[in-house]
Amino acid sequence: MQPTRFYVAGLSPALLLLCIFFIGPGLWAVYASFTNMALVGPAAAHASFVGLQNYAHLLRDSAFRQSVGNSLLFVIGSAVIGQFLFGLGLALLLEYTEQAGIAGGNLVYAAVLLAWVSPVLISGFLWTAMFDYYYGTLNMLRVALDMQPINWLGNQAMLAVIIANIWRGTAFTMMVFLSGLKTIPREIYEAARMDGSSAWDRFRDMTVPSLAPIALIVLLNITIATFGAFALILTLTNGGPGLKTEVISLYAYHTAFSSYQIGYGSTIAVAMLALNLVFAIAYLAMLRPSTRSGES
Amino acid sequence: MRPRFGLILIIYIAFAVIILFFVTPFLWLFLAAVDPQAKAFIHVPERPTLENFRLLFSDFGFGTALGNSFLVATSTMFLTVVVVAFASYTLSRWDVRGKGGLMYGLLLLQTMPLSATMVPIYGLARTLGLRNSYLGLVLIHATIELPFLIWVMKGFFDSVPRALEEAAWMDGRSRARSLLEIVLPVAAPGLAVVAGLSFLAAWSEVLLVLILVDNENMKTVPLKFYETFRTQGGYVEVRYEVVAAMALLYLVPVLLLFLLTRRYLVRGIFGGTRGA
Repeated sequence: MQPTRFYVAGLSPALLLLCIFFIGPGLWAVYASFTNMALVGPAAAHASFVGLQNYAHLLRDSAFRQSVGNSLLFVIGSAVIGQFLFGLGLALLLEYTEQAGIAGGNLVYAAVLLAWVSPVLISGFLWTAMFDYYYGTLNMLRVALDMQPINWLGNQAMLAVIIANIWRGTAFTMMVFLSGLKTIPREIYEAARMDGSSAWDRFRDMTVPSLAPIALIVLLNITIATFGAFALILTLTNGGPGLKTEVISLYAYHTAFSSYQIGYGSTIAVAMLALNLVFAIAYLAMLRPSTRSGES
Repeated sequence: MRPRFGLILIIYIAFAVIILFFVTPFLWLFLAAVDPQAKAFIHVPERPTLENFRLLFSDFGFGTALGNSFLVATSTMFLTVVVVAFASYTLSRWDVRGKGGLMYGLLLLQTMPLSATMVPIYGLARTLGLRNSYLGLVLIHATIELPFLIWVMKGFFDSVPRALEEAAWMDGRSRARSLLEIVLPVAAPGLAVVAGLSFLAAWSEVLLVLILVDNENMKTVPLKFYETFRTQGGYVEVRYEVVAAMALLYLVPVLLLFLLTRRYLVRGIFGGTRGA
């Protein structure tokens, strides 16, 4: 077989699948967002084009605005602040203890990783139990310490889903920063120490600059992943109480499958994809230089 | 230079707090799964039994769900491995214009969250008659992991020296034969990563089954788990003992597979830089 024909044949199954089940739904969403498609009622039998009506509705929809705000809060709280700082701290701690010959770091590493590899549904279940108002381990602990129990999944629902997501996702940031720290040659530190620079100086002058480029990539990566989070919040609060934890993905899902408005649900999905695209393009722009050098 | 004792003490306290934070929920899970009276708090059962597990199979039809999940996850794995192997080998070796753009296109697709595309996937699958169908589940599960896994696998192929197969071509072997007989054995760890990750993804994934399956006989483990946990969306009293046992059976294959392929998996994941 000709090399070119072999290559075309090798690539086409993947491209075919991607076109049908990846790009296809994207196009379908755009199409559906211009219709009043529904799962019940007269529109279920005969959907018709409604032009930009769904988009006009989206702009006036206060529930949508709130879901965007909730998504931002969730991303900033659990990814940008929580996972990022906690993961960075863990990486620095584990690297330091390894270098200083303090044992036990691998147990910490394994514990953090365990939460990350488990299916998200299980995280949702475990934290539903942890957060239970009457019997949950957290409130038992608070009562034992003579503190008032907290209605985690009620009054503090957003805080609760943020804590659960930090627990679930911190491992990724930790692993990337740890592998970044491993690339800094130890001799540089030794040399600096011989010259009499303090630990803080070494951290500021050597560790921070070498981690800075991957820090941005990590940030965008966890932002995108957290923006798309769905199953964790679905199982913990289902968006409630009220709309307090209703992030965009849940709002699209509820609109389509609880209110049966497929057309408007698709409009929300399109808006979400557009927002995601902004992060994604920033992310790709960050990756570009490193990937290019790897290609040549 | 050994750190001071005080510092070591502080570090071990930090270690203990971190480990407790991450492990306590799992500790509760293991105890609840063998406790017929399990509640939301940590409690060591007086008489641990396997009664909860027996209930799963007798009253909750969990055997069918396990069978469905294994069927879907293994089929997805085989399909993914074949499609990814050919596509990423091609992208590794073929010097064609537009390849860089294609690779970026794949990365872009990979960043699109399934939670945003699930509504249109439902619509499309309904149009194509792929709801309540194993074929639909396998095809869609395989596809959503393709962009990431092609990146991962391309990295493995890139590290296989071209001279190896060029020698095989000289001997008159076809491209396909040299790929199968020379290159794939060298890139086997990569294939193991792809197989492991695609199985894990299909096994754990719940969003698709949530929208694609409502036939009782076709429900997979994650869907069964979700429905038993949140009965018909009712956020009422959870039967912790039953759901904990389910969670454990849902979790065990994940942990086993992860432990077996851990070293390769971590390497593969960073080859493709994938988010949490």
